[in-house]
Order: sequence, then C-alpha cells, then structure tokens
Amino acid sequence: MDGVRVGKRLIGTQAPVTVGWENIPKVEGGPVKQFVFTWFQPTVLFALIAFWYYAPNSIAKASTAIGIGIGFRVLLLALEWVNPRYESWRLTWKELVTDLFYVGLGYTILNLVDQYIGSDAVIEALQHAFDWDKLAWFVGLPLLLQAFLISFIFDFGQYWMHRGMHNWYPLWLPHSVHHYITQLNINKGAVGNPVELFLIGLGIGGFFDFLPRAALLAGAIGMAVSTYQHINVRFNTPRWWRFLFNTTEHHSVHHSQDFEATRSNYSGTYIFIDRIFGTCIDGEAELLGMEGGRRMSIREQMTFPFTEGWKTIKEKYGRERYARAETVPAE
Amino acid sequence: MNARFIEWIWHIKGSLPLAPGQSSDDAFHRLAPLFQEAGTNYSQQDDTLSFSKKDQAAQDKMSVFDAGVLQIERSGSGPVLHYHLVSRALLFCFLAPLLFLGFAQLTVFLGDLEKPSTEAATEKPDKKKASVLPQHPIDKALGAPAPELPKKDAADDEGKKPSPTSAYVFAAIFAVLYSVGRVLEAGLIKSVFRKKLQGSQAHEPVPG
Repeated sequence: MDGVRVGKRLIGTQAPVTVGWENIPKVEGGPVKQFVFTWFQPTVLFALIAFWYYAPNSIAKASTAIGIGIGFRVLLLALEWVNPRYESWRLTWKELVTDLFYVGLGYTILNLVDQYIGSDAVIEALQHAFDWDKLAWFVGLPLLLQAFLISFIFDFGQYWMHRGMHNWYPLWLPHSVHHYITQLNINKGAVGNPVELFLIGLGIGGFFDFLPRAALLAGAIGMAVSTYQHINVRFNTPRWWRFLFNTTEHHSVHHSQDFEATRSNYSGTYIFIDRIFGTCIDGEAELLGMEGGRRMSIREQMTFPFTEGWKTIKEKYGRERYARAETVPAE
Repeated sequence: MNARFIEWIWHIKGSLPLAPGQSSDDAFHRLAPLFQEAGTNYSQQDDTLSFSKKDQAAQDKMSVFDAGVLQIERSGSGPVLHYHLVSRALLFCFLAPLLFLGFAQLTVFLGDLEKPSTEAATEKPDKKKASVLPQHPIDKALGAPAPELPKKDAADDEGKKPSPTSAYVFAAIFAVLYSVGRVLEAGLIKSVFRKKLQGSQAHEPVPG
C-alpha cells in the first residue's frame, strides 16, 4: 500500500487507514437521527458538567458517579446496537462476556489491589514519609478550572505513559496485549493485562489539594470524552470537539493494524496534547489488531507480557546450552 | 457416566434434517465456509466432520465453539445432521459467578483484617482540615453549592473498607449472561447450520 504522508511519516502502508476529516463518512439517516448523533456528545458533556457543578452536596459523591457511569455505558451499548459504526465490530455474546470479565476484574480484584499499591497509596506514603502538605492554593481556584487542571494533569501523565508504552520495550510488554483487540466496543477499554491498567492509573493529581467536587467534575469530563475511544458507534462529531478531544476516529487509528498509525494519538482525553507533541493523526481505521488480526484469549492476555519478556531475556542474555561456532551453510 | 449429567453446561448438541436424498458431501460442502476461518482446523471423512479452533476471530460465526463433531446419519426417515459442539466460553461463563463470589469473600476478609488498624488511624485527619473549605467568588456568583467537608463517618467507611458489592453484582451479571448465552448460542448455531444447508442454489457452484 502507498500510504498517506502525515508529517514525516507514511501512514497506512501495512493496513488501510483513512486520513483526513474530509474523508470520514457521516452518519446516514433522517434529520432526527442526524440531529441526535451530531449533538449527543456535546450535550452529554455539558449536561454532566452542569449536573456536577450544581448538584447538592448530599449527592455529590463517588457512588453517584459510579451509578452515572454504569447507566451511561448501558446507554452507549444500546447505541451500538442501534447505530453501529461497522458490521465487522458487531458485539457478539462471546465478546460481551469476555469484555465484562475484564471490566469485572477492574471493579473487584484490581480495585482491591490498587488500594494497596495504587497511585493514591503511593502518594499518601510519600507524604507521610516527607512531611509534605498538599498544594493547598489549588483549592481556592474556580471549580471548573480545578476540574480542568485535574483532568489535564492526569491526561498529560497518561499521554507520556502511553507514549512510553509504545516506545520502550518493558512498558510495551504489558500494553501490547491490549492492542490485540480486533474491534472497538464500549467495554474494550478494560481488555488488557492488569499490570498495564495499574500503570495507566498512576497519576500525580494526588499531590494537589482540591475540592472533592472538582475531582468528580474532572472524572465526569474524562468519562464524557474518553468513553468514546472504544465504541462501535458513528457520530457526526462537531469539528471543535475533534480538534480538542480524542475521538473514536483517533483511537481507531491508534488501534489499526498499520504499525506507523499505532504510534499516534496517545492521549486519553485531550487530543491537543498529541497536536502539541506532533503525534496526532486525524483519520480512522476499521482493520484493527496485531499479527494480522489474531484474537488473543484471556489466558494469553494474562501471561503474554511475561512469556514474551522471558523469551527476550533468554535471547539477549542466554547462552546456547552447547555453545558452538557460527554455523556454516552446507553449500 | 457422571460427566454426562453436567456436560450440557458447555456442550451443545442438536440435529437438523437434511433435504431428502442429499449426499453427505453436498451437505458438508454447503457447511464448509463456516470452517474456513482463521484459527480453525477441520477434517472430513465420509459422514463425519470434526473441527477445532484456536484464537478464533471475534466475528467468526462459530467463535463460541472450540471443537466439535458433525455427523450425518441415514435412517428410515431420511438423512439427519447431528452436531456436538464444545464451548469453553460457556463453561467459563458458568464458572465466573463462583470466581466473583470468591473475590467478594476475599474483599470481606481483607476488610476485616484492616479494621483494627483503621480504628487507630481515625485520630489524625481531624486536626489537619479547616472547618470551612474556600469557594471562589465566581462559583458563588454562579450559584454552585458551598463546599462542605464530607461527614466523618461516611469518609471513614467509604474510604477505608472495600465493598464486596461490585463482586456480587458481577457474579449476578455472569449468571444472567450464562443463562441467556446457553439458550441463545444453541438457537443461533442451529439457525446458522439450517441457513447454510438450505442455501440458495444460485450462489452455490455446482460441484463438477
């Protein structure tokens, strides 16, 4: 394949990638459908911001956020059914069960482990060890600014961790298995090795003192944007949204089978971070995965980073059991 | 003998009548496209076709099944296709609620272990936080609720003790998914086989 030149790179030489917003198809259907799928994303975002800004203190809690999150996911699953992006990404029973297994791990055992070794635990330990106080001046800022800063600081860290995962082998190992997904569905964000999920969850936000409501707002903004990364729905996303935020299109390019295309669009929420650092590709792809689209079982997802790492170590540092001279061809 | 009583959990068996006089070769020829998918090995001998799958694609129509045997039996009432399919996905979905119940018990156990240490730790937070959290004038002007410190008891409970609720919820989700899947997948595969066997004459190349 010829590929398309984006910056200094050729994108789409190994697998088809559509580059450029002008080449992305629009939602097909009547005026009502068009209206709904054009305004859905901004409406949800502003509705959530308004909700968390004005909600009484009695309901401004984490449990409300979890409830909203679950309800939102169910709604999006219904949207996938009604307006799928690609038939080849259709959610089957087996895919749903597999995805929910990973989601379930995240809500249960991984949550448990995270309390002991996660970001918050680490930060608390550091603060106790060095007698720091949190950065208290943060708390006096306007609420929306606090929320944006929390969300941006986290995404900035995420961007570099993710970029590191695609550039440094030890970080690539736990992340590689996530890239074996061959389709995007709402719960596919959870598919992957737990080690990676722990790494992605690391953030320095805990060093700042902020209003609890600002954290909930930041979480809501993150959810209202990054949920669409792995989703089998086509929206007529407004241009300003695509400029600022990561979209399904951006993330599909990141997951494509084309190697160069995967080295792009690393951010979780704010695609303008990728624009700043030159790693943004505006476009979309349908053919996703690794090794030509081989589906990886749950068992292999859990063991692959370790087995591959072991193989690499053996190759690099191991010696042949019977060390021998370079083999010489017969002819 | 014992295995037969629980085999139905992840083995799907069924049968479909073939068109009268249809040869085994013809029937398997119509079904062949189903087995020509990535990760699928199959072999056909006379009236029997057996297959196995590894890392089968998500959109493979038979992705739920990992192995199976299809056999055509000829009796007085006409040729019948008997299929016996094995699905690890169904087995694991059946066992998943047990796994999540295990996680729930682990969560409760760890919560109980932690209890003595949290009781000692509750003394500290009282002194550090101010009684009133600041609110920026813009937020006040826009009518946002004044920030409040979370109630002490709520903070201690929510923050410290992990809850097993999510594990129970997922156990229930998988139980429901299994019940749906066991019925759905059995029905789906029967209808897939039926459609392939009846397939339109125009699309099928006539075997030379």
